[in-house]
Amino acid sequence: METLDIALPRMALLYGLCLLPWLLLWLIGLRLSRDIGISILRMSIQLALVGIYLKTLFDLNHPWLNGLWILVMLLVADLSILRRAGLKARYFALATFTAIASSILFSTAYLVILVIQPTHYYDARYIVPLSGMILGNCLQGNVIALERFYSALRKSENEYATFLMLGATRWEAVRPYFRDAIKAAINPTIAGMATMGLVSLPGMMTGQILGGSEPWLAVKYQIAIMICIFTSTTVAGIINLKLSLNIAFNAFDVLRDEVISKP
Amino acid sequence: MSPIIRFDRVSVAAHEKTILSDISFALFPGEKAVLCGKSGSGKSSVLRTLLGLHFIKSGTVYFQEQALTAASIQAIRSCTAYIGQEPMLGAESVREALLLPFQFKAHREHRPTDRQLIEVLQRLQLPETILSQDSSRISGGEKQRIALARGLLLGKKLYLLDEVTSALDVESKQVVFDVFSDPHLTVLSVAHDPAWLDRCGIVFELEAGRLTQVKRNGNT
Repeated sequence: METLDIALPRMALLYGLCLLPWLLLWLIGLRLSRDIGISILRMSIQLALVGIYLKTLFDLNHPWLNGLWILVMLLVADLSILRRAGLKARYFALATFTAIASSILFSTAYLVILVIQPTHYYDARYIVPLSGMILGNCLQGNVIALERFYSALRKSENEYATFLMLGATRWEAVRPYFRDAIKAAINPTIAGMATMGLVSLPGMMTGQILGGSEPWLAVKYQIAIMICIFTSTTVAGIINLKLSLNIAFNAFDVLRDEVISKP
Repeated sequence: MSPIIRFDRVSVAAHEKTILSDISFALFPGEKAVLCGKSGSGKSSVLRTLLGLHFIKSGTVYFQEQALTAASIQAIRSCTAYIGQEPMLGAESVREALLLPFQFKAHREHRPTDRQLIEVLQRLQLPETILSQDSSRISGGEKQRIALARGLLLGKKLYLLDEVTSALDVESKQVVFDVFSDPHLTVLSVAHDPAWLDRCGIVFELEAGRLTQVKRNGNT
């Protein structure tokens, strides 16, 4: 079963669908033409580029090249997590990289080598989309974990200091905020698993079904990816926060001002 | 006898601003001292510096003649109770708040019994029923007394009181005075209240981060 191609003229027809929302928005007085135009243009160019390099990656299917691709994704994710969490990359880049790299490599390797078992474990068709999907979700979780943890700590500065005064070690004093942050980071994944298939068909499953897979196969892959996302988000979040504790505080257990980016 | 606290030409900076400059004083065990001065003069910063919460630019802070360093800070904190204007109880119920420090490794072995809890509440004239109350529902004055009770349960000897009397009514103020009449307890406080100032043997006056005057028992 082959997926039907969308030829260029019909692609143009597709863009034409945007005219309907554009017209409606214009009628209700929302002048968003510029924003809409830029967004659609950016989406098209970015995806076209992804198409080009994914095609190259798949054609060459070289283990080192695939590895390099994953490394680049990890580096981009690393910087993106810290920027969005409001922490300075200068201090935390290595800690966050260690956390996401170890958890992503572990869960992708577990899934590909032990569970899927393709002829070549480095097969781009498996490791590139799988590690990318796991990383994308792991990224969200780590942003939430770091952001929640450090903003709670700053907001509850007095409470934290009180714990220290009552004889808590640094770890004992941060533990309540640590737990809350990890909970917030993994909650979307847990809730997502609980409602999976009820509210909407998950993206990867839809993709596979469109690609011609049997629904059963698509279901199994969807379960696989969700379990890997859950595992890697939890593992990366905990490692990331734990490592950051050694960086973000001074020797007197006080949060260092200079590690937080000024908004 | 050696002083319990000694500041030796201490200057402190926070957010790249000098908040204390060249402060020197000593406090001996059992003494009750008060820091007074306009708001922003650095009174609370003296307390916070002693707890290692500020960056010491120059000079040395000594606690029982041991310099305050990263290695000694835990020991200093474990001997000291800090009670602020609106103390953080850090737990849902009052009972949990009182027992909170006993979850930490440092105090795990010394968890008080219910009788000890009730005794300390009585000493501070708090009813036993307060134990089951929600700690967000009790008044500021009650919070301060609970924080004080927690210090007493931990057997702390040095009390840093930041504007404690401002939230207390006359009666509870008397209770707090009585607790601190104990000669074993040392107090370094921040206050404006004249009744409290009269009770303190030493009055340190601060102005713009500098110690300008020290009065002992009414004499300069």
